[in-house]
Amino acid sequence: MSRSHPAPSRSGHSDALVVLLGALAIVVGSSALGLAVNHFSPRRIPLFAGTSVGQELAPAPGRVRQGLAPATAVPLPKGLSPITLPDARAALDNHLALFLDARPPDQYAESHIPGALSLPSDAFDDTFPDLADKIEASPFLIIYCEGAECSDAIHVAERLTEYGFLGTRVMVDGFRAWVDAGNPVTVGSSP
Amino acid sequence: MTRLRSILAHPAVGGLCRLLIGGIFIYTAVPKLLRPDDFARLVSGYRLLDPGIVNLAGITMPWIELIAGAFLVIGIIPRSSALVIAGLLAVFMLAGALALLRGLEISCGCFFPLMGDHTLGWDLLARDAILLLITLQPLTWPSTFLPCLRKTAPSF
Repeated sequence: MSRSHPAPSRSGHSDALVVLLGALAIVVGSSALGLAVNHFSPRRIPLFAGTSVGQELAPAPGRVRQGLAPATAVPLPKGLSPITLPDARAALDNHLALFLDARPPDQYAESHIPGALSLPSDAFDDTFPDLADKIEASPFLIIYCEGAECSDAIHVAERLTEYGFLGTRVMVDGFRAWVDAGNPVTVGSSP
Repeated sequence: MTRLRSILAHPAVGGLCRLLIGGIFIYTAVPKLLRPDDFARLVSGYRLLDPGIVNLAGITMPWIELIAGAFLVIGIIPRSSALVIAGLLAVFMLAGALALLRGLEISCGCFFPLMGDHTLGWDLLARDAILLLITLQPLTWPSTFLPCLRKTAPSF
């Protein structure tokens, strides 16, 4: 069982200073540990995103009032390629790609990109076998999730890449930006 | 009032508060550590930090959560650990409130990626406020599970 410490004997000010210094030590020490682990991690990400792939992409307008800075995409993991909204729209119009919706099924049923197949990140192993033939028949896959801040599309793209599908592109701006840009959507649980 | 104060100051209450708050922070920090890129992406959704330093927050913040949570559970410098966690909760609430006031519809990333995808809302900020109130207990009446620190530990 835990016990309370006796009342501090130091003055209130020096006591608060000691607590503050302890908190500062936790923040600095933990940050240094995080930076060191990231440096040696196989999932290492750059400390600063200034030269990332994401910076080259069109900003995500998001569902947001006017006058706000756009979200910026964090770089995609190695081996994955992004696609911008206009390029994705062109691929849809010209029937060049198969769209895969990595969001949960209820969000897919609410609305999705016309022709997109539902391949939820959380149920990839259960869903993929049913879609494998259609996916294999398409040379070019575009995967999306809800917004620029979500990672479901990336997880699905990583799994597909592991399976040997090289023509995958992640629509990093996400479905919200697709809708806000006035692109077509369809409703229901079928493509 | 005195009775309430004596209940709140009871070591058993302190132990429970530390286990709850520290446990939550450990539980939520681990998946963020494993996927710092995903967490950085979530942070970028709040559109508060300069895009150049979003990754830095994604790398360091989960480790601060983990260490502060672990220290709080064990009782190593419990007041300082509680102060760090209180600061993090205050930052989460401020960031969330600003995002909501600006009309952003984003995933909160609170229990990322466990327990489903929570869209940021005022109810989640209220939950953070409750956690912040609980964190005041170890901040005010520090305690520890380590016998060696019970009598000799400084108050930080």
